Parts: sequence; C-alpha cells; structure tokens
Amino acid sequence: MDELKFRRQAYEDPHNQDADFLAQINAKPENQALINELKNLDAKLTNALKVEVADDLADKLILRQQLQQHHKHRRQTGFLVAMAASVAFVVGISFSLLRLGPIDLAEHALAHVYHEGVALQVDQNVNFNQVNAQLASMKDFGNAKFTQQPGKVYYTSYCDFQGVKSLHLVLQGEQSKVTLFIVPLEKRMVLDKTFADGKYQGMGFETPDAFILLIGEDKADLSYVKDEIKNTFI
Amino acid sequence: MFANWRKKSVEPAVSSDMLSKQRRYNSLVKALHADIFRYAYWLCGDKHVAEDITQETFLRAWRSLDSLKDDKAAKAWLITILRRENARRFERKQFDYSDVEQDTLEDNISNSSEEQTEQYLIRRQIGKLDIEYREPLLLQLIGGFSGDEIAELMELNRNTVMTRLFRARSQLKELLEKNDVRGQSNG
Repeated sequence: MDELKFRRQAYEDPHNQDADFLAQINAKPENQALINELKNLDAKLTNALKVEVADDLADKLILRQQLQQHHKHRRQTGFLVAMAASVAFVVGISFSLLRLGPIDLAEHALAHVYHEGVALQVDQNVNFNQVNAQLASMKDFGNAKFTQQPGKVYYTSYCDFQGVKSLHLVLQGEQSKVTLFIVPLEKRMVLDKTFADGKYQGMGFETPDAFILLIGEDKADLSYVKDEIKNTFI
Repeated sequence: MFANWRKKSVEPAVSSDMLSKQRRYNSLVKALHADIFRYAYWLCGDKHVAEDITQETFLRAWRSLDSLKDDKAAKAWLITILRRENARRFERKQFDYSDVEQDTLEDNISNSSEEQTEQYLIRRQIGKLDIEYREPLLLQLIGGFSGDEIAELMELNRNTVMTRLFRARSQLKELLEKNDVRGQSNG
C-alpha cells in the first residue's frame, strides 16, 4: 500500500480495521502518529456533535403520536356516526315518500268496518247537530254540514284514513244499518264508484268538500242512504 | 352467540396488536431519538427546526411502523425518513439556510472552561463545513454507518462518499490546527 493511499484511507476512516491498513499503521511511527491524531480529532468531533437533547423530547414524541392516534380514532367514530345518521335519514325520507303514494279509499273503508265491528252494535242515537259539531271541528271539511237529520244515526266517531282525520257514522237504511265515512278531499286518494267484497257492498261519491263512502250489506240500502245524504249534506 | 364469540376472540387480538406496536414505537423513540435529533440539528443548524423535523420523522415512522421488518435497520430507516422530511422543508420554503447555521450555533463561550471553548470552536467549524461534506461525516460519527451504508443512504456511489469523508476530515483538521496556531500566537 503506498503512502498516498494510506493517508486517504486514514482520513476516510481512521478506525478502519482492514489487515492491510493495520499493517501499514505498524510499519512506520509517523503513520501511527497520524492515526492517533485523526482518532483524537474524531473523538473531539464526536463529542462536539453531541449537542444537548431536551430531556422531554422522547416524551413529546410519544405524546404527539398518541394524540394523533386519538384523533384518528375520533375521526373514525365520527365517520361511523355520520354513516348511521345518513342511513337513518334515507330510511325516514323513503317512509314519508311511501305515504305519499295513492290511497285506495274503498279498501281502507272495508278494512275499517271489519276492524270496528262494535260500531254496528251500539246505538248512541246521535243528533245531526252533534255530527255537524264534529265536522266543524275538522278544518279540512270547509263548510260541509248536515241541514237536517239524515235518518237515525247510531254511531259517530273520528277515525283515521291513512293519516287523514275523517268521520265515521252508522246510519239506518231501509232494511239494515249502513256505515258512512266522510273523508276530506285529497289528491292522493282514489275512490271507486262501487266496490264490494264477500260480505259488504260499497258505494263512493264526491261532494264539493268531501269524499263520501257508504258500506252496507244491501245495495238498496246504500242507494237509500245515498239519496238521504244528497238531500241533507252540503 | 356467534357475535359474542367473535367479539371475544377478535378484540383482544386487535388491542394486543396495537399494544405491541405501541411498545415497539416507545422503545424506538427511547433508543434513537437523541441520535435522530442530533442528526437533524447538524443538518439544519437550528434546535427548534431540528425538533420539528424529529417530530415529523417519528410520526411518519409510527404510521408506517409495520413496514419496518428488521429492528436492526431501524436507524437507517429513520434517517431515510428524516432526510426526506428535511428535503421537504426546502421544497416548502425557499430560505437560504447557509447563513442561519453559523448564527444559531449555541454560544456557550461566555462562562466556560478551556475544553468548552475548544468544543465551541469545533462546532463552529463543523457548522461551516459544506453540507455535502458534513452529511457523510455525521452519518459516520453519529450513525456509526460504514462507507457502503452511507453510500446507500445518500444514494451516491461509495467512492464519492469516501472522497467526501476524506475532504471533510482534511478541512476540519486544517481549520482546527489554524485555530490552534492563532490561539497560541495570541496567548
């Protein structure tokens, strides 16, 4: 190994442990001196490079990481809550949209008659003024009222037609009792002129302020009550 | 019942995974934060900036801790992150840092012994060294890396690294000897 190469290697790394290099150090006293000098320089440099490190730096590094971890966790929970909220929102919207679909009054009316069987049993002997008071209490009917007693009224009650407040009456026909529904006019309602199932006959018509539905066992009775209503209800 | 069974077996596994990751990070911080901070300091010459870079470096390290397979390589891995972080600092703001380095070096000459005076002078000289000579020297002296490892870290070939190490030591030796002579003649 020539002198120049040795010097280069010494400056590159005085702690070099190559056999060649070590041999060269021992070969000459001035090489030994140079290496000692450079090692001394390295020791000084290494010392000088050791600038003071703040005592709490390690703690800060761990704290910062844990805060970030915490935030990340928070963000994830926030995301889940947002997802849950939007799913709930969509479900809510679709339910209210479903309710806006067309409503078949005839079907509801029949279901209602079967459901409230008791209405056909009782005899409250209602005066038409009382019915008028009930009609007046419902804003949707405008000025609709009975001008005189439409035959005997056995029963009167408010009822619910798919969220719309309506009036449920039971009147005396020629032979049997007839159930009468007065439902406020609304666009999404669909009304058939006549309908029926195994037991009951039904009839529907429209007045300026309301839908009228009649349900009874006998068709003749329905026509009878219909005429009666047309004469007394405005 | 199935949900219960799942919960019981999966949750502890997840949390113990997190726990071991946390332990690994903590020991990484404890073992290497001083070296990383010092390396950052000698790269940028400012303690506050160095602390910021160190913070960023360790946060990034946490995020990708799973990619560190071999713990022996941790130091080189952190230094790679740090160098990238430092480079990003220069992309963000185009300051001329070469002047800052000398200005912000600690002045502890005022109430100090001879030894501290000498250390102050050495630090000044290291600070004055060109960054391209300074960095391989830092890697060698702080990092304890070999020529090959430095070459890999700095993406240079080994000969270039060795030349720079040679020049770094020559310059420092010369500068410090000159200082000694001046000191003697003054005294």
